[in-house]
Amino acid sequence: MSTVALKTLFIKEVRRFSKVWLQTVLSPLVTTSLYFLVFGVALGSRLREISGVPYIQFVVPGLVMMTMIRDSFLNTSSSLFQSKINGTITDILVAPIGALEMLLAYVGAAMIRAMIVGSLVYLVALTFTWFPLHHIGWTVFFAVFVTATLAMLGMVAALWAEKFDHLAIFPNFVLLPLAFLGGVFYSIDLLPEPWHTVSRLNPLLYMVNGLRYGFLGVADVSPVASAGVVLISFLVLLGVASALLRSGYNLRS
Amino acid sequence: MKPPVLRCRHVTKRYGKFTALQDLSLEVYEGEIFALLGPNGAGKSTLIHCITGLAKQSQGSIEVLGFDTMRDFRTTRRLVGLVPQEINYDPFFTPLESLMIQMGLMGVEPNRERAEDLLKTFALDEKRDAYTRTLSGGMKRRLLVAKSLVHEPRLLFLDEPTAGVDVELRRELWQEVQDLRAAGTTIVLTTHYIEEAERLADRIGILHKGELLLVESRESLLERHAGRSLEDIYLELIRKADGRHAA
Ligand SMILES: Nc1ncnc2c1ncn2[C@@H]1O[C@H](COP(=O)(O)OP(=O)(O)O)[C@@H](O)[C@H]1O
Ligand SMILES: [Mg+2]
Repeated sequence: MSTVALKTLFIKEVRRFSKVWLQTVLSPLVTTSLYFLVFGVALGSRLREISGVPYIQFVVPGLVMMTMIRDSFLNTSSSLFQSKINGTITDILVAPIGALEMLLAYVGAAMIRAMIVGSLVYLVALTFTWFPLHHIGWTVFFAVFVTATLAMLGMVAALWAEKFDHLAIFPNFVLLPLAFLGGVFYSIDLLPEPWHTVSRLNPLLYMVNGLRYGFLGVADVSPVASAGVVLISFLVLLGVASALLRSGYNLRS
Repeated sequence: MKPPVLRCRHVTKRYGKFTALQDLSLEVYEGEIFALLGPNGAGKSTLIHCITGLAKQSQGSIEVLGFDTMRDFRTTRRLVGLVPQEINYDPFFTPLESLMIQMGLMGVEPNRERAEDLLKTFALDEKRDAYTRTLSGGMKRRLLVAKSLVHEPRLLFLDEPTAGVDVELRRELWQEVQDLRAAGTTIVLTTHYIEEAERLADRIGILHKGELLLVESRESLLERHAGRSLEDIYLELIRKADGRHAA
C-alpha cells in the first residue's frame, strides 16, 4: 500500500470540501440549527419532558445524527460521482492506488466533514441548553461507525449512479424520511401499533437512538442493540463497497 | 535479454457482445516512439486503457517491463504515464495544486520544485495559481501532459494529444515528445495526422476494428512501398481490410 498516495488522496478530499465550506459545512449547520430553533427551542418551551429529559435536549442528538448521516453520505457520493462525470477519476485510476486506499481516503474525509458539522450543531445547541455528554465512549462509537457506514453508502451510490437524479434519490427519498421516522423528533414509545413495531425495522432508528444514549443516557433501544445494528450495517457496507471498488464496477470499463 | 517495455499477449477486450480488441499481441521496445494509427473506433484508446488501468482486458495478458498490469498494478502504474484523449480537469484545484496532488497520487512525495519546473517546461508558470477552468484549451492540454510526467514514467502514452490543437502547440508538443525520448522515455502515441507519425515514429502499428493489420518500422515500411507516402499505404491497408470485412 502506498502511504503517500493514501495521504494525498485523503488531503485532497478534505481540501475539496473545505474549499466550498459555505456549502459543505455552513449550510448544513444553518439548516440543522434552524430545526433546533423551531422544534427544540420554540416547541420545546411548550412541550414537557420526553423520556425523562427536557424536549429541547431530546432533539439535539437526533439532529446531530441526522446531519452527520447526510453530510457523510453527501461528501463521498458527490465527490466520487463528480470525478466520474468530469473524468478526473482518471487521475486516480492510473495511479498505484488500490481499493483499500480509495476507501480509507474517501471515507476518512467524509467522516471529518460530518464530525465537524455534528460538533458545531452540538455547540450551537449548548448555547441554548447546557448539558454535558452522558457517555463519551458510546457517543464516539456511534459517531465513528455511523459516519463511516454512510460514507461507504455514498461511495456505493456514486459508483452505481449514472446521472445526478440517481444520486439525489438517497438523501431526499431515503435518508431524510428514515431519519425523521427514526425518532429524531420523538420517541417511538409515543407511537401506536403497528407503527411502533414497524419503526424498529428502520436502521436509522438505531443510529439516532444510539447517539441519544451517548448524549443523554436515554433511548428507545438499548445502546448494545443499537451498536449491534450499526456494526452489522457497517460490515455489510464495508463488504459491498470494497467488493465494488476491487472489481472496478462502473469505474474501470 | 531485457524484456520489452510493453508486451501485450493475445489481448481481447469485449464490451458486452461487442469486441473492441481481438487477440492482439504487440511489443514495444525501450526508447522508441511507437505510433498507433487507425480510424475512429478502431480500438486505440481501448488498448491504451487496458494497459494504463482505465479498463480491464477480457482475455490475454499485458506486461510493462515484465510486470503484469493486473497482478503487479502498483508497479506498472508507477512506470506508466497517460495523457488521455479527453481533456479533464478538477475545478477545485489550480495547476500547481493539480501537479502536486498528482505526484502524491502516483506515490511520489510531492515536490514543489519539480511541480514548478514542469509548469515552466509547459509554459504554465504564469497560470500556476489560476482556476484551472480559466485556462485556454491548449493550456489545459499542456497541463494534462505535465500531469502525466510528474512521476517520470518510463513508458508514456499520448492518446491523440494533437486533436483540435493549433499548429504552434502541436509543434511544441512534438518537440517535447522528442526531448522525452532523448531522455530515455519510451513513447506510444495515437494520432489522426498520419504525416506526424511519418515524421516522428520509429515504428508504426495500424489498428483496424480491433485487429492489428501491421506493425513495422517506419523505414522498412516506406522502403517496401518506395515513393509512396505513409498516408497512401495506410489508406490502402484500411480499404483492403474493409473489403475483407464486407466480403
Ligand atoms: N466503455 C465502452 N463501452 C462500450 N463500448 C465502448 C466503450 N469504450 C469504447 N467502446 C467501443 O469500442 C470501440 C473502440 O473505441 P476506442 O478504443 O475509443 O476507439 P479509438 O480510440 O480507436 O477511436 C468503439 O466502437 C467504441 O464505441
Ligand atoms: Mg480514441
